[in-house]
Amino acid sequence: MSLTVVKGLQSEIYVPVTPAPVWAPVTKKLSEMTIAIATAAGVHQKDQERFNLAGDFGWRKVDDSYAPDQLMVSHGGYDNSDVNRDINAMFPYERLHELAKAGVIGGVAKFHAGFMGGGGNIQKFTEETGPAIAKFFVEQGVDAVLMTAG
Amino acid sequence: MQRAIEQAGIPTIIIAALPPVVRQAGTPRAVAPMVPMGANAGEPHNIEMQTGIVTDTLKLLEELEAPGQIVPLPYEYHAQI
Repeated sequence: MSLTVVKGLQSEIYVPVTPAPVWAPVTKKLSEMTIAIATAAGVHQKDQERFNLAGDFGWRKVDDSYAPDQLMVSHGGYDNSDVNRDINAMFPYERLHELAKAGVIGGVAKFHAGFMGGGGNIQKFTEETGPAIAKFFVEQGVDAVLMTAG
Repeated sequence: MQRAIEQAGIPTIIIAALPPVVRQAGTPRAVAPMVPMGANAGEPHNIEMQTGIVTDTLKLLEELEAPGQIVPLPYEYHAQI
């Protein structure tokens, strides 16, 4: 016998569902890994098109050899003042260079990925932008990705 | 994004200023220093703090053995607004 008196009741509060876990195992030592950065902070090269601040599911390849003053941020979703003072606050690629020189990591990827997180077309991000960036890193032979977002 | 890269077989770790958000999004590996959104990797021009955050994060990438963990990091920066 069922103890439910009224069937089909549900809360009026929507609770987002956390997706099932994903996990790629680490197979190399840190000192042998080539590391790339993927940042949701809207980082890109000054010679590239800016992101549309109202929402943009595009992404930019960021050349690791560019100097900090050749990079910029266009992102409408957070206070850009810290990252405008020092791009490493969200895109710590100069710290990676130092760690590679010190032998802590194996190397730094030639290209990183910048996109504008914090909303936009989530379906496009999930189905197109994410897989495109992943493919780009696989083709580059990247061993691990350091992210800044959220 | 992190999940897409992970699904392609590349391990990832995220430096988050908003740990509940990355938890909800289903992060496999994350760290959370005490920083404002916009300075996830540490205070601007504070090389010591940024190096500490990045190094600790990469070491945890190597060490964490199960998905869904968000490890607090002992660094603190408050933006002057």
